[in-house]
Amino acid sequence: MHNLVVIFDERIYSVLTLQKAAYRFISYFACNFSLTENQIQCEIESTGNMTLEAFNAKVHDFKKEVLDQHLREKIRVETDDIRNLILSVAFSSTGLQKVE
Amino acid sequence: MWHSQALACKKLSKFQPIQFYNNESGTYELLPFNFDKVSDDRYVITNLVGEYLTIDSKSLQDIVNHELSPTNNLYSKLRSKQFIREPDEAYPIELLALKLRTRFARLANFTNLHIFVVTLRCDHSCPYCQVSRQSEDKASFDMTTEMADKSLAMVFRSPSPAIKIEFQGGEPLLNFEMIKYVVTTAKKLNAVHQRNLAFVIATTLSLITEEILVFCKEHNIVISTSLDGPEDLHNANRPRPNKDSYQRFIDGLQKTRAILGYNQVSALMTTTDKSLPRVKDIIDEYLKLGFKGIFLRPLSPYGFAIKTRKFMSYNTERWLEFYKEGLDYIIQLNKNGIEFSEYYSALVLKKMMTSSDPGYVDLMNPAGIGIAAIVFNYDGNVYASDESRMLAEMGDSTFLLGNVLTNTYEEIILSDKLLDALDESFTLSAPMCSECAFEIYCGAEPVYHHAIHKDFLARKPESEFCKRNMTTFKHLINIMEDDSERKSLFIDWANKC
Repeated sequence: MHNLVVIFDERIYSVLTLQKAAYRFISYFACNFSLTENQIQCEIESTGNMTLEAFNAKVHDFKKEVLDQHLREKIRVETDDIRNLILSVAFSSTGLQKVE
Repeated sequence: MWHSQALACKKLSKFQPIQFYNNESGTYELLPFNFDKVSDDRYVITNLVGEYLTIDSKSLQDIVNHELSPTNNLYSKLRSKQFIREPDEAYPIELLALKLRTRFARLANFTNLHIFVVTLRCDHSCPYCQVSRQSEDKASFDMTTEMADKSLAMVFRSPSPAIKIEFQGGEPLLNFEMIKYVVTTAKKLNAVHQRNLAFVIATTLSLITEEILVFCKEHNIVISTSLDGPEDLHNANRPRPNKDSYQRFIDGLQKTRAILGYNQVSALMTTTDKSLPRVKDIIDEYLKLGFKGIFLRPLSPYGFAIKTRKFMSYNTERWLEFYKEGLDYIIQLNKNGIEFSEYYSALVLKKMMTSSDPGYVDLMNPAGIGIAAIVFNYDGNVYASDESRMLAEMGDSTFLLGNVLTNTYEEIILSDKLLDALDESFTLSAPMCSECAFEIYCGAEPVYHHAIHKDFLARKPESEFCKRNMTTFKHLINIMEDDSERKSLFIDWANKC
C-alpha cells in the first residue's frame, strides 16, 4: 500500500475536474479530496499490489490527466448551449415523440 | 452590352468569390467535441456525429484557447468537419443536426432482428458453447406451434419496415419442421403487414440436406454458419460423436453454395485458447474456402464458456495481440492483391468514416437490447438479446422480459427490466463514457457488464469491454494516420460494410 498527497490550486482547477481525472485511475488508486484555503488536497492511496515505481508512474499519469480534464471542462463550458441546440434541431421533428 | 452580360453572369454564379470565405476577424467558436490520446504526441478529436481528426497536443491547446490562425491548414479541416464555426454561421449546426439524425435513424424503426430459438437440442458438444445444450432426443426443448404463433404476433408489432427472423439453437435444423412453420406463417402474415421480410438460419451445417436447401432457396433464406479454422482446430473446438464436425461442415458448405448460391452463406469464428497462436492458419482456412472476410471475435462470458471456465482461459491483452496479428496479416494479403476484410474493424470504420450506424448490437447506444434485437425462446420466454438468454441458461434471468403466453407486447417492451437496463447503461450520461472521444463509436453493452460486474453500467476503467474497444479504436486510427495506403483500404471496408 502506497500513499501520497498532491495539492492543486483551487483557483485553477475545479473539484469536478480532479474527480473526473481520479475516476480514470480507479483501478489503481483511491482519492480523498479535501478543501483548504485556495487548495484542493488529494490524498492518493494505492489499491492492490503495486510497486512504488508503478504507483509513482500512475500518479504522474494522473497529473497529466488532470490537465486533459481541465481542457475538457473548458470545451464543455463553452459548447454546452450549442450542444443542446444541435440536439434540439436534430430531434425536433422526427415523429419520435407524440404531442398531446 | 458587355456590362449587362457580366451582371447576368454574376447573378447566375453559384459560387461566392474566394474573398467571401476569409475570416477577417480571426475569431471562431468551438463546437462540441471530445479528445483522447492515441499515441505519444497524437490526440484524436471527435465530435458528436463521429467526425474525427488527429492532431498534436500543441494544436489541441491552440484550438481550445482560440489561438489557431485562419491561415493554418488545420483551421479549414476543423471547419469542414464541424469542430469550429465562425461567428453567426448557421450551416454547421444544421449539418451536425442532420448527421446526428442520420446516425440515430435506426431508433425510430425499432426492433429489426428477431431471434427464434426453435430448439435447444444440439448434435455438437462445444466446451465454449454460449448456450446450454441438451441431447438430441429431448423434444421438450423444442418450440411449439403455439409459441411460434404468439411470437410471430409480437414480431409484427414492431414498427420496423424491415424484419429479419433468425433461427438459432442448439442446432435449429434439429427442429426444421418448426422453421418451415415459422417461415410460411410469417410470409402469410406479411401479406397484410407488407414488411421487408428476411430469414437467416444459424447452423453448423452438419445436418443440412438437399430438401432443407430447396426450401431455403424457395424462401430466400440465407445461412450463417460457424468455422473456427483448419480441420484439427475446428474439430477440437466443436466436438461431435464421430469427430467429423469439419468434414460435415465442408460437405454442407458445398451443398449450400451449389443450391443457394456462393454468397448466400457466411461464417463466424470463435476464438478459444487453442486459436490464439494460429490466427494466420484460421484466416488461410477462410481464404481457402472462398470467404471474403472474417470476424475476429473473442469468447463471450456466457453459457458453457463460463461453466467450463473457457472464458477465463485468455485475457483481453492476449486477445488484442491475436486481433492485431490477424489484422496485420489481412492488410498484407490485400497489399498482395487478395481482397479480404476483417468485419469487426469494418463495422468500427463504418462508424468512424460515415454518418451511418451499421446496427451492430454490441456497439450501440442506447444499447441494442430489445430495441434492435429480441429473442423468442423455445419455451415462450422473451429475452432482451441472445446473450440475455445465455445468461438465463446459467440461472440469471435479469434480462427475461416476459413470456409470449402470459404477457402482452406492451408489458414486454415497456418492462422495467428493459427500460432500466437501457437507461442505466446510457453512455452519454455515464462517468468516463460521456467525455470519451470514442463514445460515438462504442456501445453501452449492459448485458456484458451485468454478467461480469453485476452492474448495467460498471466502472469503465475496470471494464475489459472498454479496454478492448478503446485499444481497437486507437489501433485503427493509428494505422490510418501512419499509412495512407492502409487508410484507403479501410475506407473501402467502411463503404462495403
